[in-house]
Amino acid sequence: MLIDCRRNALGYRTAFALRASRIARAIRLVERRSGGGLRAALRAALCTVVLGAALQANAADMTAISAPCQGCHGEQGHSVIANIPSLAGQPEFFIMNQLFLMREGVRRVEPMKALVAGLSDDDLQALAKYFSSVPPKPSDEVIDPELAKRGAALANRARCASCHLPSLAGQEQMPRLAGQRIDYLRHALTDLRDSQRPGADSNMIAAIGAASDADIDALAHYAASVFAATH
Amino acid sequence: MKRIGSHHGTALMAAIGLFTAFNLSAQTAPSAPPGFSAMDLSRPEASNQSLQLAPIPVPPLVTPPEKIPVSRITLPQGFRAEIWSWGHPGARTMVMGDRGTMFMGTRGIGRVYAITGTTGKRQVRTIASGLNQPNGLAFKDGSLYVFAINRVFRYDGIEDKLDNPGQPVDLTAQFNLPTEVHHNWKYVAFGPDGKLYVQIGANCNICEFNPGIHGQIRRYNADGSGMEIVARGVRDTQGFDWHPATGELWFTDNGRDWAGNDGFEDEVNRIPKGMEGANFGFPYCHANGQPDPDLKRPNPCAGVIMPAALNGAHTAGLGLRFYTGAMFPTSYRNVAFIARHGSWNREKKSGYDVVIARPLPDGTARMEPFLGGLMDNTKNEFYGRPAHVFQLQDGSILVSDEQNGAVYRISYDAELHASAR
Ligand code: HEC
Ligand code: HEC
Repeated sequence: MLIDCRRNALGYRTAFALRASRIARAIRLVERRSGGGLRAALRAALCTVVLGAALQANAADMTAISAPCQGCHGEQGHSVIANIPSLAGQPEFFIMNQLFLMREGVRRVEPMKALVAGLSDDDLQALAKYFSSVPPKPSDEVIDPELAKRGAALANRARCASCHLPSLAGQEQMPRLAGQRIDYLRHALTDLRDSQRPGADSNMIAAIGAASDADIDALAHYAASVFAATH
Repeated sequence: MKRIGSHHGTALMAAIGLFTAFNLSAQTAPSAPPGFSAMDLSRPEASNQSLQLAPIPVPPLVTPPEKIPVSRITLPQGFRAEIWSWGHPGARTMVMGDRGTMFMGTRGIGRVYAITGTTGKRQVRTIASGLNQPNGLAFKDGSLYVFAINRVFRYDGIEDKLDNPGQPVDLTAQFNLPTEVHHNWKYVAFGPDGKLYVQIGANCNICEFNPGIHGQIRRYNADGSGMEIVARGVRDTQGFDWHPATGELWFTDNGRDWAGNDGFEDEVNRIPKGMEGANFGFPYCHANGQPDPDLKRPNPCAGVIMPAALNGAHTAGLGLRFYTGAMFPTSYRNVAFIARHGSWNREKKSGYDVVIARPLPDGTARMEPFLGGLMDNTKNEFYGRPAHVFQLQDGSILVSDEQNGAVYRISYDAELHASAR
């Protein structure tokens, strides 16, 4: 099916087809990573997005380059896939900076590797501008209020808000946490604590350095609850 | 000189340290949830600082020359500043090869640059990328040493192959550096004794750490053997140099955060002759003998070497270089130039300049301003962040600006001085 996708895209626009083939490779990587976990419906959705983008490629370059992203990160960057972050409403600098670090090979996100390799500085900035301008939405996961309460106490102690803001909307190089997927927050915090995210800001690594898995779970639920409370 | 044979020999100490940390945090902050943040014992409610303070991002993209704030720079009479190079985002440490290649280390951006050519025709190459904070650079016998977090590489004959550096020799195992990320982007330099001196920061803002592993300056043979500890209780030094006359090691050390806008001042330290291995106080004793408010212990400053000078709260003095050139007036001979990166954990910003530490006969130093203009005090805004200082052969000095990915050259002209009078 992925091959079909690519062939169709090729039919529309060669430049885009190049990207489409990269996506195909990236999707295979995600599948491998999640043990073939992508559901059939999602595959179909991906295919549609890819094709849709190919059709619109002539209209606006932005649509073309952001379409493959939406295949994984969700429509307009509202993710519905476990462990893939939402991009909607992230600070512009944060998105640009992370894409830059990925292109540079500092932050290693295997499924995105081929995709970011061909992006220019202008592309990074355009993508950042686009996704930061989309209003964020809460994730579809269920928040545990008890965990959220415990997380709030931890967050207060660790001063998470000084960097991520009291609304947890993020600023500059510091990501939005409010509305982010709980499973991704958990995954990201674990990576940060265990120094598994090269290039990540060391102040953040220090902030989470002494957290247990249970602490991280609580913080993830707390961050999600802040969005619910402020929207 | 005390030697530490292995990191594991101090496991018991670590265990005791952690235990104490836990008890302390339970005592001083009863509301603290257990099991969390023994790595940061600061208390937000006690620091009396705005909870909106956050670290400053480093722009990863190129700043074009017309946006580089060189015209804002102010200097004493007779000195002038020009752009020496640009187009290398994240510019920090500078070391020069035997044949005049300027090598430059960075942090988050993960690159090592090689800068060649003359003014107006300078070429910037990225000779390594994707590294984890490769801030520590040293050059000796044709080889470039690159220290990233936990990794050490040696590029032999590098100046012959800037376009294709090839695979470096991996010295990671030999140096066996701690893997923790925080405060472990390296500053390194070869000393007059031919040894490689290496920063090992405290892996936290304020915590009990294992003094056998963290909060040190060490020295090694160039191949990573023969490790010795030359200073302890050092929170984070990002610059050191040897006094040209006394041969003593001077280093910058940055004070902890979240202990108030004015607490505690950063330090300029000197290791007195014969005192290698001495304790400089962190985490119990700060600045010129002030006990930590969150981490209490009896006689916290006993046996601690006091700083040669205080360098202002949160100003973040990084690179330190003694001046030995002939271009500047003789009053600058043997003074230390210090690049101050500028504060983040302070409501009224401070630093963002280059200052001088003028050594005095009693072993202390007097601080004096030198390069300013990159900070607007009334607007509380900054335009550049000096990170490192380097002296060129002609006696002018270079200052790297991490914010703008640029290097400024500071030169002196006696005639300019005279005509301004
Ligand atoms: C094949 C799936 C896939 C595609 C396509 C993809 N991404 Fe990602 N992206 C991921 C995954 C998975 C992560 C999380 C990485 C991790 O676990 O650290 C991620 C992380 C990110 C992050 C970091 C966000 C954060 O909160 O840390 C950004 C920014 C990002 N992607 C932007 C993009 C953009 C822009 C595009 C399109 C050019 C894109 N991605 C395409 C899978 C994908
Ligand atoms: C000193 C500033 C600072 C503090 C305090 C801080 N953070 Fe962060 N945080 C950052 C920065 C900067 C990043 C981006 C990391 C990078 O560069 O990849 C980040 C990243 C994150 C991420 C990754 C999200 C993503 O989309 O990739 C999570 C989750 C997070 N922080 C949660 C927290 C929590 C929870 C706390 C409190 C326990 C906290 N942070 C405290 C600065 C901070």
